[in-house]
Amino acid sequence: MSKMTQRKSLDYIKKDYVRTRTLTGSWYLASYKFKFNITHMKPFLEKLKEKKLIGNQCSSCNRVFYPPRQVCGKCLVKPDKWVDIRNTARVSTFAISYLKDPETGEVQERPMVLVHHDGADTTSIAELNPEIDVKDVYVGMPIIAHWRDETVGGLMDIEYYDKFIDDSDDIRYKK
Amino acid sequence: MGRQVAIASAGFSEHASKRSDVSMPELVSEAIEDCLKNAPGVEIGDIDAFVNGNMPAFEGSNIPELWMTDWMGARNKPLLRVTTGGTTGGTVAISGYYTVAAGLPGIDTVLAVAFEQQSQGDTSVGLASVAYGEISILNTLGIPYEQISRLLSAGAAIGVAAYQATTYMNKTKIKEEDLARVVVQNRRNAAKTWWAHLKMPNLTIEEVLDTPYVQYPLRYGMVCPASDGACAMLFTTEEKAKDICDIPVYVNGVASVANETAVLGYDGSGSCQIDPSMQLGAIRSAELTYSQAGISFPRKEIDYAEVYSPFPNQELMWVEKLGLFEEATAPEMYEAGVTAVNGELPVNCSGGVNATNAIGASAMERPAEAALQIMGKASNQVPKTVHTSIGSGWGGSLNLITLMAMSDQPRRKF
Ligand SMILES: [Zn+2]
Repeated sequence: MSKMTQRKSLDYIKKDYVRTRTLTGSWYLASYKFKFNITHMKPFLEKLKEKKLIGNQCSSCNRVFYPPRQVCGKCLVKPDKWVDIRNTARVSTFAISYLKDPETGEVQERPMVLVHHDGADTTSIAELNPEIDVKDVYVGMPIIAHWRDETVGGLMDIEYYDKFIDDSDDIRYKK
Repeated sequence: MGRQVAIASAGFSEHASKRSDVSMPELVSEAIEDCLKNAPGVEIGDIDAFVNGNMPAFEGSNIPELWMTDWMGARNKPLLRVTTGGTTGGTVAISGYYTVAAGLPGIDTVLAVAFEQQSQGDTSVGLASVAYGEISILNTLGIPYEQISRLLSAGAAIGVAAYQATTYMNKTKIKEEDLARVVVQNRRNAAKTWWAHLKMPNLTIEEVLDTPYVQYPLRYGMVCPASDGACAMLFTTEEKAKDICDIPVYVNGVASVANETAVLGYDGSGSCQIDPSMQLGAIRSAELTYSQAGISFPRKEIDYAEVYSPFPNQELMWVEKLGLFEEATAPEMYEAGVTAVNGELPVNCSGGVNATNAIGASAMERPAEAALQIMGKASNQVPKTVHTSIGSGWGGSLNLITLMAMSDQPRRKF
């Protein structure tokens, strides 16, 4: 017989105390300092100002990263070649969130999409045109980047993605 | 070289949304008590080393493993704490396995404990620490914080799972009824498991589909609960296990494989997994584990599976990715009852993570329950004899997969 089971079971505690005592406490935890390198992002951000998209390519496995990446996780090689990426994309996957408007209390349906740009091998988060009906969104839907009038050289220069009719035959959605 | 390791026993504490009747060490002590009850030959002095873990920052207290040292009986013994986020439990079990397998002098019997008392800590602080690094980088690159949090829907695992669900549903052409069917099976199984949290013996598919969406395509009724609970497993050598218990369960293969980060990627650079339900890490961990265990035909050789599925679409995805069913056939198997308790290949008879989710402990409860099914001591025991079983784990945004294959025969290939 183990000492653990010989010892009085925890029931004796429960007999004496119906509940444990709860001590509430809080301390400030949400302060962080992260160091990360943005030098590899510079050409990318500057091109965004010209309303152009580029990604960097790994010279070992030829994968194109958009937004650019510092290291290719597959080959442990620094992607050093810049390639152009089209402003057309596909919806790689989506989910619909239901957010309550803090002022009116009305629940809004907002699709959240991951976009897969034509010419890139990665997906990135983005927003669709708020006028697109959530019921019309599907996996593989062709979309096109909608630029802001004034660009500042940041990811927000793409305001949202618009629906468009894809009549090109040269690029097929990669499964 | 390593040596053959056996599981001598496994135990659980009672799970509930708020275990306000016990403190964190008392909760852990409950699981250890239940674990040692199944192995009457073992005294607390016979345990040579301890491994302990929970989801970091979810418990709300600093260095909980030292607080509970006395309650585990670990005073003056080697103690190790491992935390790997959502897969902590799986990693703690694998660490327990490695500690014995290493064959160090004087370390034969190891107790591995995983726990979580979510009602005590601040979950949002824990989740913030998960995603804050990537979010702050995207922030610097020009996306305002409000938009990121909207896009990620507060960064919880459900955001990742909803993306997986959409592509999985698109690929297999299934409806929401198929997801609800998995939930119904899990929660009805949980009703027969003494330690489970969400017990719903009379749940129907219609009731699940009647609940509102949390995030399309996942409804409120499909999402796992937040539980308090703990799990303990006793690892020992092949020779000692034969003395301790009637049916020792041999650990024949373990793997822990990380894959591309979901959704955000590192430095805000996106994910190379164009299809989030592709899960190459799971396929790779299955390959590694099965080759160690000498399993050539997983579908034929595995009799029971516990997979980590907080959301029903993941359960369908994992059973395919871990080689138990052909691609895109899992929904049919659930409909045909193949995965039911009396089916050909029972899955998650404890109710799974979908019915009980004490985050840090969940990934250990899978191999623990799979081991108890081989011993014949499980709460919701399957009627057929289980020779080989697996228990898996999945961790949040990093797509880390842990897997353990167990059998009643020592078959680990060295
Ligand atoms: Zn590469």
